[in-house]
Amino acid sequence: MRPLLAKGMGLVMGSAAGEALPSHRAFTFAHGVDPSTGVVTDVRSDVRGLNVKGKVLFYPFGKGSTTASSWFLETVRRGNNPVAVVTEAVDLSAVIGSVMAKAVYGNEIPVMCGIQRSVYAGLKAGDEVFVDAGSGEVRSEG
Amino acid sequence: MHLDSAQEKMLRGDLGEARQFAMGIVSKVGDAVGADELVPIKSAHVLAHYSSLHDAGVEVLERFAESGGKFAVPTSVDPASIDLQNWKSFGIPEAYARQQFRLCDAYAKMGGMRCWTCVQYQVCNFPKEGDIVAWAESSAVVFANSVLGSRSNKITAGMDIACAILGLTPRFGMLLDENRRARVSFKLSLDGLTELDYRSIGFFVGRNAGPRVPFLAGLPPSVSSDQIKHLGAAAAAAGPVTMIHFPGITPGSKTVDEASGGDKVEEIDVTRSSLNDIESDLNQTSELPDLAAFGVPHLSVNELGELAKLLEGRKLKRGVKMYAYTSSQAYDMAERTGISSIIEKTGARMSQSTDAEISPLKALGFNTVLTNSAKLAEMVSSEGEIEVGYASQKEIIEKVTA
Repeated sequence: MRPLLAKGMGLVMGSAAGEALPSHRAFTFAHGVDPSTGVVTDVRSDVRGLNVKGKVLFYPFGKGSTTASSWFLETVRRGNNPVAVVTEAVDLSAVIGSVMAKAVYGNEIPVMCGIQRSVYAGLKAGDEVFVDAGSGEVRSEG
Repeated sequence: MHLDSAQEKMLRGDLGEARQFAMGIVSKVGDAVGADELVPIKSAHVLAHYSSLHDAGVEVLERFAESGGKFAVPTSVDPASIDLQNWKSFGIPEAYARQQFRLCDAYAKMGGMRCWTCVQYQVCNFPKEGDIVAWAESSAVVFANSVLGSRSNKITAGMDIACAILGLTPRFGMLLDENRRARVSFKLSLDGLTELDYRSIGFFVGRNAGPRVPFLAGLPPSVSSDQIKHLGAAAAAAGPVTMIHFPGITPGSKTVDEASGGDKVEEIDVTRSSLNDIESDLNQTSELPDLAAFGVPHLSVNELGELAKLLEGRKLKRGVKMYAYTSSQAYDMAERTGISSIIEKTGARMSQSTDAEISPLKALGFNTVLTNSAKLAEMVSSEGEIEVGYASQKEIIEKVTA
């Protein structure tokens, strides 16, 4: 098993493994991620040009439009969604997007909070990460 | 989260499929965020525009409507992605309009007020101090919490409809006193604020508050509710802000101590150079735009009147369009009072029931947009396809008219 990186709090249950996509700035799917590709388009994002598809997405907190959960849901409908979302502060749009994804399309996308930016500062895009919302664990070699 | 027996029945499906679907979503979100119970709401505000809901959102709204969903409380709706009256003359493609009208039909079937505005608190949805509401639209949530003294979380798409159908929302976040306390204090020591300054101040506050509830001191007593509307919208676009304590405006927040519950909080100065930084970040091009856009959030009839004054006697330059986005209600008043004829004489247009950031700007052929809305500048540039300029209304008018 990979070493424990941090313990946070599970919000929407499930576990997932994938490459990390760590952002250290306020993040939004609304106008900020192209649902037809999964690519981050937001010019103010530090992960602009990278793809959320299949990734464990880290960011400190959300920003902007309350439409973010529907942009998230459209990435799910098109199969371009992250496999898990890990934040510092609760991002309600990720919680609602994930709950909607399960209710509408049957996808399980765990959402966790309570993981500080300083804790995942050592993670690079592409590092393998395992998250389990049930135990709150984030595991990685990174 | 505890459900009472009536709520359990909804979850089991005893009260119909729509309420079962809604309760399934609301109870899971409530569990996720640690809510203790569901509480009644006085009103809801929901999203039903195609550009952000996409095809997934059409599926969701139609599923609610076709399974018998009816709104349990007065419910207003954000702008559509097209001008619902004049979409053809704005060049909206048929296929795009069709998807928007599917959302309109589903929304109407559930019994919502057909206001199509993001300033419902200036039009048809007026909660009072202490009322709990479940509102989408980040700028309106800031206004409800900060000015009206109502209580709302930033309810995002999908959950908004579910709360409206149930007439309930989980008790957590901004519904609780302890989460409404100011955790950072911004101090403004600037005189002679311009219209643009209010928006830049909001953006600065939103960017620097992070998840902390801000207190903002130093606004002049002359500040208008329209200026607060734009300030709050900019703050919510830049960060996760859902409330700003304005001394003298926000109920129970006369001083930072009152707003913070007596806790010491970090202080941040808002200086001219803070605002210059925001302006240069949002203003990415000085080219002549394809579109000059005013009104994200929707302009009030007063703001349309001010715009008309600035435009009077001028003509829009060739190759530039100018749209002023507003609610149908303000549009009608502007028609009756002669404001719209002044605006239209210049070659500019008013667009009702839609707004720039949620209309298909790229598909309409706009590659460069110039605006005084920090919210629009942030959102349009985020999609990475359109260049955005950010300047005051006066500067914009000087640039694009003669």
